[in-house]
Amino acid sequence: MRPICLFLALVIVIPSVTARAQQIPADSVRADSSRVVEMSPIVVTATRSEKALEDVAVPTTVVLAETMRMQGALRLNDVLVTIPGLALFEDHGAGLQVQGFAPEYTLILLDGEPVIGRTAGTLDLNRLTLQGLDRVEIVRGPSSSLYGSEALAGVVNLVTAPAAEGLRGALGGRFGSFGTTDLTAEVEAGRERAGVRLLIDRYASAGYDLTPASFGATSPAFTDWTADWRSRFALSDRVLLRLGARATVEDQKGAFALNDDGVEVRYDDEGRRVDWSLHPEAQIRLSDRLRLTTTLYGARYQAETRYRRQRDGELLYDDDFDQYYLKAETQFDAVWNGRHLTSLGGGAVRERLGGSRYGPDADGDRPAANQAYAFAQHEWLPLRLFELSASARFDAHSDYVARLTPKIALLLRPADKLRFRASVGSGFKAPAFRQFYLAFTNAATGYSVFGATRVQEGIAQLQAEGAIDHLFFDPATLEEIRAESSVAVNIGGSFDPFPRLNFSVNGFRNNVRDLIEAQPIAQKTNGGFVFGYFNLARIYTRGIETNATIRLIAGRQSRLDIALGYQFLQARDREVVEALETGTVFGRDPSGREYRLGLGDYGGMFGRSPHKATFRAAYSHTPFGLTASIRGRWRSRYGYRDLDGNALANRDDEFVTAYAVFDATVTKSVPAPGSADAEVQFGVDNALDVTRPTLIPSLPGRKLYVSLRLTL
Amino acid sequence: MKPPVAFSILAGFVLLFAGCDSADPELEPVLLDVKMAENIPADPASGRDPDTGASISNNLFTLYDLEAGSILIPSSQTDAATRQRDSTSTAWDIGFRGTTIIFNGGTSGPGEAAAQLLAQPFAEVTEAPEGGYVADGENTSCPQVSTPVGPVPGSPYAICTGSDNGWYNYNPATMLLAPIPGRTIMLRTASGNYAKIRILSYYQNNPDPPDAAAPSRYYTFEYVLQPDGSRDLTSE
Repeated sequence: MRPICLFLALVIVIPSVTARAQQIPADSVRADSSRVVEMSPIVVTATRSEKALEDVAVPTTVVLAETMRMQGALRLNDVLVTIPGLALFEDHGAGLQVQGFAPEYTLILLDGEPVIGRTAGTLDLNRLTLQGLDRVEIVRGPSSSLYGSEALAGVVNLVTAPAAEGLRGALGGRFGSFGTTDLTAEVEAGRERAGVRLLIDRYASAGYDLTPASFGATSPAFTDWTADWRSRFALSDRVLLRLGARATVEDQKGAFALNDDGVEVRYDDEGRRVDWSLHPEAQIRLSDRLRLTTTLYGARYQAETRYRRQRDGELLYDDDFDQYYLKAETQFDAVWNGRHLTSLGGGAVRERLGGSRYGPDADGDRPAANQAYAFAQHEWLPLRLFELSASARFDAHSDYVARLTPKIALLLRPADKLRFRASVGSGFKAPAFRQFYLAFTNAATGYSVFGATRVQEGIAQLQAEGAIDHLFFDPATLEEIRAESSVAVNIGGSFDPFPRLNFSVNGFRNNVRDLIEAQPIAQKTNGGFVFGYFNLARIYTRGIETNATIRLIAGRQSRLDIALGYQFLQARDREVVEALETGTVFGRDPSGREYRLGLGDYGGMFGRSPHKATFRAAYSHTPFGLTASIRGRWRSRYGYRDLDGNALANRDDEFVTAYAVFDATVTKSVPAPGSADAEVQFGVDNALDVTRPTLIPSLPGRKLYVSLRLTL
Repeated sequence: MKPPVAFSILAGFVLLFAGCDSADPELEPVLLDVKMAENIPADPASGRDPDTGASISNNLFTLYDLEAGSILIPSSQTDAATRQRDSTSTAWDIGFRGTTIIFNGGTSGPGEAAAQLLAQPFAEVTEAPEGGYVADGENTSCPQVSTPVGPVPGSPYAICTGSDNGWYNYNPATMLLAPIPGRTIMLRTASGNYAKIRILSYYQNNPDPPDAAAPSRYYTFEYVLQPDGSRDLTSE
C-alpha cells in the first residue's frame, strides 16, 4: 500500500491536480498501465510540481514501488535496465545511457536533490537502494531549464515514500547466487501531523569471476550499508517541515595481477566509499494559491582506493576523492486561476573538492566553486485541448561562462484517446572537475594536463622550470571555458485505440556542441605535450522510442499485462560524419587490405546500440496472492574498440555482438502469524546464462535468489 | 645494389622459367617488390630520469635508406661526428623520431626529397602523382592547431605532425597510437625516384591486436620503390 493520498493531503498541492489525484486508488496505480481503467500516477520531476503523468508534456516514465518489488529489483540499475530506451553504460560503475548520452549527462536526484559522487562521469547506479522508495521517475530530454547542469539527456528522480499513519515495521531478506544478500529493516510511525520512517539496508556480494584463468575476480566482493531517515511534521495547517537524511558506506575488496617483465605480481584492491546527505525542507502555504518551499541540502562523498602488493603489503597506488555539496533554494508556486500556474525559484550552491587529484592551487586553496541560479516556469492551460509550459533558468558559476537555458513544451489532447507532446529545450553540463581543477603530470611519459582554472599557473610554473620548449599560443589569451550544451527536440504522443491497449512514441534529436576535449597547448623540452581542455566537439543523437502496453486479462481476480518497447538510436560525431561524407576515412581488414568507408559503415559512437527492445509480462492472481513477472531485453551490437586505426567502430571485431537477457520472478503471499503479512519471492536473473567475460564484465551469469518479506 | 644488374638477372630468371613462348619480356609490366622494414627504432626510450621516472631518449632521428633497405644512422648513434658525416649525405631518404617523419630535403637534409600524404589505400596507388610534393619546412597546408584564441599554424613538415593530422591518430582512452588506414606517403627520393610507403605499426614487433603496453617508437612499414625514375608503382 502506497500512502499517496496521505502524502497529497499533507503536501499542499495545486488544487486542480489535488482534486484529480485524490481520487486515485493508491494500490491500483501502475506504471505504464493503460489509463483507461486506472488513473494516471502523479509525478513531480518534469515540472517541479505535482502533475498527473498523462498531462506531462515531456516524455516521462514512472515505475512504482509495487512494480519494482514484483520484479525483484534491489538497486537502481535493476529497475532502469527494464525500461524501454534506457541502457546501462559501464564505465567506472553502472551508468545510465539516456537517448544515447553517456552517464555524465543524466542527473540523478533523491527527492529532487542531486546525488553527488561521480567517477569518470559515472554515478554508479548500484549505489542506490530501491528500498524505501515510492517510485522512480524518469524524464527524457533536457531539463536544464529547471535543474541546471547534468540534466542534458534526462533526469532520474528517486522519490521516497512518506511515513504513513500508524505503526508499521518490515523485515526483508534476500539470498542469491554469488553470495548476494540484501537485508532490510524498516520502521514507520505516523500520525496525521507527523511521521517518521527509518530504514537500514545491508547489501552485499561475494563478487564473481568470469575469467577463472586469470587472477582476480571480475567483480569484487563488497558490503554496502544504507541508513535512511524520512520524517514529516506539520507545524500548522500551513507549514509542513520535512527532513530527509541518508548515509551509506561501502567496502569493497578485490584483487588483480600485473605483469612485471613476465612475472605475475598480485595486488589487493581495496576501496571504501562513504557518503551522506541531509535534506531539510519547509513548505509554507502562504494562501490558497501561493506556496513557498525552502530547501537546504548538504551532501558529502568520499572515496578511497588502495592497491597493495600481496607479497609485502607495499602500497602501490592510493587515490582519495572528497566532495562537498551545499545548496540553499527557495521556490514559489502560484496558481493564478485554473489556467495559469507559475513557479519561480532561485538558489545558491557551494562545492568543494579534496583528494589526491585536486590538490590546493598556488595560493594553497582547495578547489571550490560557487554558483547562483534562478529559474521560472509558467504553465498555461487555456483549453482542455491544449497546455503550454515554458521555463528558463539562469546559472552563474565562478568557473565557467554564465548561461541561460530555456525550454518550451506543448501538450495537445485532440481526443480523449490521443495525446501529442512536443518540446524544444536546451540542456547543459558544467565542465567536470578534472576539466576545471586537474593539475597532473605523468612522470613516466612526461606529459602534463591542466584544468581550465589551473592552466595559467601550471604553464607559468613549467616555464619557470625551463620545461617548455614552445607554446602553441599564449595561454593568457585563453577564453573562459563554457558548459557543454545542447538543443533538443522531442515530439511524440500516445494513443489508446482500444481499452487496455496503449501505444506511445517519441522521436528525439539532440544537437550537442562545445563538448570538452583535451588539446595540446605547448610542447615540453622532453617532447611531451601540455594539454588543456577546450570546447571543441559536436555530436548529435537522434532516434525513436516506442512502447506498447496491453492488458490481455482484466478480470477481477487476475490480470495479465504485456509491454513491448523498442528504441532506434543514432549517436554520431559530426566531424566523423563530415569526414565519411568527403570520403577520407578508410578501414583496414585483418589481412591489411584497406577500403574506403561510407556513412553506412559508421557504427556510431562506442557503446551505443542502434536497436534495443524490451519485453515485460506480468501476471497477478489476487485470490492466491500470486504474481509472476518475466522481463527480457535485447540490444543490437555496439562498437567498443578500434583495431584498424580510424578511431571508429566499423569492423565486425570492433563490436560487441547482440545479446538478450531474460529475468523472471514469482511472488506469493504466505500465511503469517497474527496481523503480519508475509511474502516469498523466487527469482532468476539472466535465465539464459549469457555472459561476455571480457567485454561485459558487469553481466554475471545466471543468478538465482529467494527472498522473504515480512510486514508487521 | 645496382638496379640494372639485379633486373637483368631477374629478367633472365623470368625468361628461364617462363619459357620462350611467352611474350616479349620488354612489354611485360615489371612488377616491383613490396619491401618490408621492421622494428626501425625511432628514438625509443633509452633510460629513465632517476628523479622523475620520466623516460629519456636521445632526441635523435633514425635515418633510413629505402634503396638499400637499411638504416644509415640509428637514433642510438650519439657520436656527433658520425651523425654529422652521415646525416649530411644524400644516402638516406626518410628519418624517424617519435611520431615525426622527415625526408632528406628542405630543412631536414641536403637532398632533394619531397613528399606528400595521399588519402588513398596503399594497394590502390599504382602511379605516383606528378605534383604535390613538398619538402620539409615548406608545407604550408598542415592543419592549424585549433585553440580558443583562433587557429595557429602547424609545423611545416611534409607529413604534418600531430594526431589525426598526418599518418597516425592517438586514442587517449586506450593510449594507443595507430596508423590511419588509407593514408599513403608518397616520396620523391633524394635521388629523384618515386616511392610509396605505408606505416603499419608504431610498436615493437607489430603486435596484433595493437598493444599499448609494447615498447613504442618502433616503426614497421612497407614500401614500393621505383628505381628507374618513372612514376609507375605497380607492384606484385
